[in-house]
Amino acid sequence: MKPKSKKTLLNHYSQWKYWLLISTLVILFLSALPSWYGEDAAVQLSSKSSHTLSSEHVYQVLNQAGISSKRIEQKQQNVLVVLQDPQQQMLAKNTLINEFEKQAQVTLSLSPAAPTWLLNMGFEPIKLGLDLRGGVQFLLDVDLDLVFRQQSIMVGDSLKQFVRKQHITGVSIHSGDSAEVTVDLTLPEVRGQIRQFIAEQYPLWQVTGQKDRLNVALSENEKVKLTNLTVQQNLQIMRSRIEELGITEALVQRQGDNRIRIELPGVQDPATAKNVIGATASLAFYPVLENGSINALVLKDQANNPIYVARTPVLAGDHIVDARAATGDFGMAKVNISLDSAGGKLMSDFSRYNIGKPMATSYSEYSRNSLGKSQQTTKVISVATIQSQLGNNFEITGVGSHQEAQQLALLLRAGSMTAPVTIIEERTIGPSLGAENIVNGFAALALGMSLTLLFMACWYRRLGWVANIALIANMVMLFGLLALIPGAVLTLPGIAGLVLTVGMAVDTNVLIFERIKDKLAEGRSFASAIDVGFDSAFSTIFDANFTTMITAVVLFSIGNGPIQGFALTLGLGLLTSMFTGIFASRAIINLVYGRDTRHAIKV
Amino acid sequence: MNSTQMNNTIDKLKFLTKWRYASSILSIALMLLSLGIIGIKGFNWGLDFTGGVVTEIQLDKRITASEIQPLMVAAYQQEVSVISASEPGRWVLRYANIPDENQRPELLTVLAPLQSDINVLNSSIVGPQVGQELVEQGGLALLMAMLCIMGYLSYRFEWRLASGALLALVHDVVFVLAFFALSQLEFNLTVLAAILAILGYSLNDSIIIADRIREQLVIKPQWNITDINNLAIKSTFSRTMVTSGTTLLTVVALWIMGGAPLEGFSIAMFIGILTGTWSSISIGATFPELLGLNSDHYRVIPLPDTP
Repeated sequence: MKPKSKKTLLNHYSQWKYWLLISTLVILFLSALPSWYGEDAAVQLSSKSSHTLSSEHVYQVLNQAGISSKRIEQKQQNVLVVLQDPQQQMLAKNTLINEFEKQAQVTLSLSPAAPTWLLNMGFEPIKLGLDLRGGVQFLLDVDLDLVFRQQSIMVGDSLKQFVRKQHITGVSIHSGDSAEVTVDLTLPEVRGQIRQFIAEQYPLWQVTGQKDRLNVALSENEKVKLTNLTVQQNLQIMRSRIEELGITEALVQRQGDNRIRIELPGVQDPATAKNVIGATASLAFYPVLENGSINALVLKDQANNPIYVARTPVLAGDHIVDARAATGDFGMAKVNISLDSAGGKLMSDFSRYNIGKPMATSYSEYSRNSLGKSQQTTKVISVATIQSQLGNNFEITGVGSHQEAQQLALLLRAGSMTAPVTIIEERTIGPSLGAENIVNGFAALALGMSLTLLFMACWYRRLGWVANIALIANMVMLFGLLALIPGAVLTLPGIAGLVLTVGMAVDTNVLIFERIKDKLAEGRSFASAIDVGFDSAFSTIFDANFTTMITAVVLFSIGNGPIQGFALTLGLGLLTSMFTGIFASRAIINLVYGRDTRHAIKV
Repeated sequence: MNSTQMNNTIDKLKFLTKWRYASSILSIALMLLSLGIIGIKGFNWGLDFTGGVVTEIQLDKRITASEIQPLMVAAYQQEVSVISASEPGRWVLRYANIPDENQRPELLTVLAPLQSDINVLNSSIVGPQVGQELVEQGGLALLMAMLCIMGYLSYRFEWRLASGALLALVHDVVFVLAFFALSQLEFNLTVLAAILAILGYSLNDSIIIADRIREQLVIKPQWNITDINNLAIKSTFSRTMVTSGTTLLTVVALWIMGGAPLEGFSIAMFIGILTGTWSSISIGATFPELLGLNSDHYRVIPLPDTP
């Protein structure tokens, strides 16, 4: 056994701990730094074609309108204009739209004001919530009942057809009132036939019920899947629409089961945004004609090539009830499409006489552009060859990769099954109020911080400065982490959490210092009191912080945007205060007082 | 510590016992009173929970509420609350939402006779279903936090000590809620967040005392629990005061500088910290004593020498 050399090890941290401490602090300090500089209002022009925009041209246009810019950056085909005066952002955007509408997509954006060397290292400013930035927030409710009802109507229709074809009597079928199809039977013998039909045609549906009544419904599992698909599809639609609105930093997020939260920072007028969000999309199938045919409708495909199609579509997308990507023969991707009965009849009649000919699927959308005019955009999303006569269920092959098939299925559902969305919450925060909130919040933080620093310096004279350094380091780390963590957003309640953290973070040091005082009173030397004090306070600190952590986690998981911001700063604050309060202050105390063997010292 | 020293310490702290009992009785009485107040007065629920429309506007400073009110009532056909905000000329208008957008009068048009260029500072429209959900979620959050804390406490502490901390916690939350019921200050989401933060904070204090009680029970098995409690409170008192002091300082800073949106939060936290400190010293430590906590519950069981 080695002799214990406790004497030399007392209050000693090995070198690597100091390196760890210093490098953590330096990295987080650098990460916190860009937030200090803030962000400048900017307008971005993204080129629609391969045509490169000229920054001189942009400069001239802005100059003529009397808009001064800090700098104009050319990044590949895009031009970013950083404005001198944030008030001119909307004016700049409209001026640029008038000039460059054909060539470029003009979007509002923000550009970090920090020096480039800092940004080049990958550090970014803290993202601010809407309550600090100003903007519009919507909460949309996706009406899933309607989707389930549509599905039940589809199954009900096809069951009715089956019953008619098989000449089964004494059956009455109800669908469309709920997510279920109810089948009333007078002759229980046909039950087997109906069960078999459902099992073969709609394997995802389950038949329950006894004797004279059967209930046909999607299994819970499938309902969840359908819900997810529908909400996902709505998210997709919303994202692409908001892109059209020209807001780069918009947030479109699922909230809960069937809610979508949309945050549009910088938007001042909710009316325009509402029009775009509420627009409808549709889908249609067209017979494809030869290139150059007369009396044809010319549509563009995704690569902007013209496609000649018949003037009237075979059927419109409102007949589609479902579309899912699947893997077909030889591992090729395909998309399975289900139509309602009317659509099935149209498709079957058309396809019978057109086997081997191409059919185009088009996707069109009504929306309002940023100037408030309604417009329709139609695009061909796929051209496929008809292989055989098609019925209610058919598949489109030749749709590219599996991922592209997924995308197509999503778009097909998007065109048809779009569950209606209603805006159930709408919040607008003016930019002046946002700025005011920032000023107020940080004034409170500054006041709280200086009061605490002053108090600690007066109360614990000898050790107070250590606690104060730990507290400052704690704040630096918190800001650094907020900037570093992806998805972390600073809100007004979040600033309140920061202020609270300042008050509570010193607790760690207070607990330790009180223990050290106790140990000194017991007659230990300063160095030994430090050693025992830190050790005995640890379990108390851990217990006390752990329970607050529980509330922070609960708040984060259940709360909404601003409250999550509070939970985030509260929780992160606990972690950083443990790090600085225990680790960092010990490191400093070890260096300064670690060898201090005096007794009866006042702290 | 020799026995005369020990008796000295015990005697010196005897006076605390009376104080603890008296303050515990006061706490329990206040808690019952608080529950009564909550039951009778109810809360002034904020927009987040009730749904409706709240708009904050900036008008000319000479325009008064008596000019705004009749215009609003005439246009929206309902009672409209017009409250002056933190600064002169700023008004907060609150009314129930009219779901059909075509029938909804435009606020700026309604108020146009007063002033043509009205500055809308912020506006929120919350549907009724959102509010209902938030009430449920808020209650769930409170319950979840309580349950998790209870689980952790009973794992870390003996059940008598744990229930003392829990009672102190309930006391604090009830007290803050009662304050909001009595003052009819708006109970919104940030206040709910403050209540949850108080859960964590109040526990901080109780746990630190409970920790000391546990520690002393192990070191001084011959002491009776009353004296141990006194000692634990005495030895943590300075820490309790310092931490509560700094936290109160920062909350006051938030109250003064944070502006209207954080006012409810700061007030809730302020009261929560005060009662949290009070309750951890009064009922937090005394309740386990009444439940019969003694050093046997923390006796170190010597391990047998032979396996």
